[in-house]
Amino acid sequence: MPQASPELSSSVKLKYVKLGYQYLVNHILTLLLIPIMVGVLIEVLRLGPDEILNLWNSLHFDLVQILCSSFLIIFATTVYFMSKPRSIYLVDYACYKPPVMLRVPFATFMEHARLVLSSQPKSVEFQTRILERSGLGEETCLPLTVHYIPPRPTMEAARDEAQLVIFSAMDSLLNKTGLKPKDIDILIVNCSIFSPTPSLSAMVINKYKMRSNIKSFNLSGMGCSAGLISIDLARDLLQVHPNSNAVVVSTEIITPNCYQGNQRAMLVPNCLFRMGGAAILLTNRRWEHRRAKYRLVHVVRTHKGADDKAYRCVMEEEDPEGKVGISLSKDLMVIAGEALKTNITTTGPLVLPASEQLLFLLTLIGRKIFKQNWKPYIPDFKLAFEHFCIHAGGRAVIDELQQNLQLSAEHVEASRMALHRFGNTSSSSLWYELSYIEAKGRMKKGDRIWQIAFGSGFKCNSAIWKCNRSIEPPRDGPWLDCIHRYPVHIPEVVKL
Amino acid sequence: MVSDGGEGSVYGFRLSSVVPATVTGEDKVHGLSNMDLAMKLHYLKGVYFFRREAVEGLTISDLKEPMFEWLKLYYPTSGRIRRSESGRPMIRCNDGGVRIVEAQCDKSVDEWMAMEDHDIHNCLTYDQVLGPDLAFSPLVFIQLTWFKCGAMSVGLSWAHVLGDVVSASDFINMWGSIMADHAPPRSLGTNPTSPKPQFHQKLSQKPFSLKMTHPIGDHWLLPRANHPRMGTRYFHVTLDQLKRLLSAHSGPHAQSQPFQLLSAIMWKTLAKIQGESEPKIVTVCRNSYGERGDDEILKNAMVVSRVEADIGVAEADVSDLAKLIAEKTVCENGMIEETVGGDDGKSDFIVYGANLTFVNLEEVKLFGLEIQGHKPVWASYSIGGVGDEGAFLVLPAPDGDGGRTVTAILPENQLAWLRRELKDEWGIA
Repeated sequence: MPQASPELSSSVKLKYVKLGYQYLVNHILTLLLIPIMVGVLIEVLRLGPDEILNLWNSLHFDLVQILCSSFLIIFATTVYFMSKPRSIYLVDYACYKPPVMLRVPFATFMEHARLVLSSQPKSVEFQTRILERSGLGEETCLPLTVHYIPPRPTMEAARDEAQLVIFSAMDSLLNKTGLKPKDIDILIVNCSIFSPTPSLSAMVINKYKMRSNIKSFNLSGMGCSAGLISIDLARDLLQVHPNSNAVVVSTEIITPNCYQGNQRAMLVPNCLFRMGGAAILLTNRRWEHRRAKYRLVHVVRTHKGADDKAYRCVMEEEDPEGKVGISLSKDLMVIAGEALKTNITTTGPLVLPASEQLLFLLTLIGRKIFKQNWKPYIPDFKLAFEHFCIHAGGRAVIDELQQNLQLSAEHVEASRMALHRFGNTSSSSLWYELSYIEAKGRMKKGDRIWQIAFGSGFKCNSAIWKCNRSIEPPRDGPWLDCIHRYPVHIPEVVKL
Repeated sequence: MVSDGGEGSVYGFRLSSVVPATVTGEDKVHGLSNMDLAMKLHYLKGVYFFRREAVEGLTISDLKEPMFEWLKLYYPTSGRIRRSESGRPMIRCNDGGVRIVEAQCDKSVDEWMAMEDHDIHNCLTYDQVLGPDLAFSPLVFIQLTWFKCGAMSVGLSWAHVLGDVVSASDFINMWGSIMADHAPPRSLGTNPTSPKPQFHQKLSQKPFSLKMTHPIGDHWLLPRANHPRMGTRYFHVTLDQLKRLLSAHSGPHAQSQPFQLLSAIMWKTLAKIQGESEPKIVTVCRNSYGERGDDEILKNAMVVSRVEADIGVAEADVSDLAKLIAEKTVCENGMIEETVGGDDGKSDFIVYGANLTFVNLEEVKLFGLEIQGHKPVWASYSIGGVGDEGAFLVLPAPDGDGGRTVTAILPENQLAWLRRELKDEWGIA
């Protein structure tokens, strides 16, 4: 059609201009180097071999000069290698797959809610609405205690759930990697709500009979972004301790979390949070790079706790009846967006190609200094990463990030499908998403992955990984029996 | 509630749900036939007693775990009643699940079975009613009660609208089979087809076996105000007693069958008790495997017939009554289906207890439920929501016994008379 084609051709032209610009700026050094080398080559050819030999003989090198130069070079190289941060490798990880016995279909969830909250029909209706729009599927799982009407969460039940989830994930990890428990030098367990004494890390050490000089840490209260905080802690520890293995266990124990009151802001977590856990093996041992799946490139942590609204936006508190629950404020999405912007401001320069950074800088200069009325330039992160793992906090979070970062449906597919199959598993959701990408066979050597997690506080943490070797779809893992069914279309509103 | 040793003994009720292992899928519907809808006010209650050896070492998780695969096969049992646009009830297979009840009893199983009042067995099955919240009422409850001695009872509460006693019994037996690791069939036909077309022609004749009740809306409970209170009693007829009765009261030409003979005895005894208002017409209900296809595992496939006595029942010879029951049945299935289908399932009916009803359950595999290789020491079925005329169920007795268990569901005052008469006249206790 004649009307469409000028627009089409102009947009195609623009695309090529953009591509050309990116290629030019990102490879500027290569492009500058080539003419210089050509120039040198021409000069050498022009001079001829005799002239070159004369030039070489005229340079007087005596022994001291040679020795000093070599010494300097060796010294510089040694200092460089010694002060370079150790490479941290992710050897492998294992996600917990809950058994069918713990499955909660929508109909069962709603019926139990009706019976438990029989005097609060409005609260039941509210939960129905949340569940319909949540993006969860019918195979998400809740712990055994929550299947009872009414649930009676005891400390023992919470410990049972913790043992079930953590030990399953650990067993799976030890099996996959061939790691012996006695070889673990650093153990970090993060679980936000359930924090018993002795700690969950002590529970793991007891079960697996780990060494007495193990360095163990237990992070609690840090929300859904605690998984990446643990990775960051492991990385820092692995810089200090040479030739070490670190195991990070990320989970959230649901049993103490089931709120039985009627405050709406506190009922939302009931609808979204589900059982899950992951165990990750990190190492700084050089020879592991042969079999390691990923290399940790950056971890960027952003904390908005200084702002009162951000601090209060996810709050564990008692409702007027004295029942404890986690209250989510209405400003959650706005605060998450701001936290993300702050995180990107630090992450961007670390990962974006020069072309994007230049454009961002130019628009920034234009807007601030020359007061031009330009829109703020949103860098194209798709140029920096092949895969995105966005914490499956809920459908709204994924939608918000997809819009903010201008990602396509395929980029957020891992997050949406993990939310559908496993629900919001808190700090371990990033690992289910990564597992999805691997199960689909999309992970190739050299691919860069961006994991973004949000958590109470309010925090936004990013981890950037580089794929170390091409990964075949694994023969085990949480997606094994259902990956062929995915991706599924998730309707806006599910009819219950 | 006076604790006479029965009702107060069962305590510690904990409810939970089990669901099918895999997602049944959206919009899967199990249609209800006219015969299903005729039975909607009735509830089957089955009790199975297992000795301590049968359940030794089993935790509640061991008992629940096989249920998920089991419910995958029988997914309509996990559904819920919904109404179509025309108001006709159907089952939406939404994986709502089956309700499991865990309870404790402070008596030993021997003490329990020795108790005089047989109504206490009702404490071992959950008091199930569909409605008033019809769309959220489970169709099946399973109550697991642990006795002081370590024995356990399994109480099945089953909405009759799902299927007949054969369906319910096969359902619970399959659980035992899966628990024992016998590979279950990959799928069972559960005829998720739409119900048969409704007849709109003029009814030829009204069925005697079907009685219309007042409209009960979404609360499928037979109204009991101004009605006598019903009681239940289980009578055990040993093989010897049965042989004796059969030889003593067979007709001149043919040997009577146990069901017909026992029904005749009950009929005559009740006629004696009721005197002037003796029941002249009775309903005979036969449950067998012959009436259903291989792929129809959840079905109300009983043959409901009426029998009219043209002789005085109280004075009649038992063998004559038995012959009447055997030969002079008039099948009313067609009429029942026409009546129910006539207004598309909107009216409410009862079948059991509309007249004095005799239910032949001899073919039911009552002792097919096995736990850790052990059969139940005793099992029986009763029915909730039976009309005033009462009902008798004739079931097989425990394995190896060869006799029969007769469940009598009658108004309480008649039940006391019946007990005395049967003991004095017939030696049945």
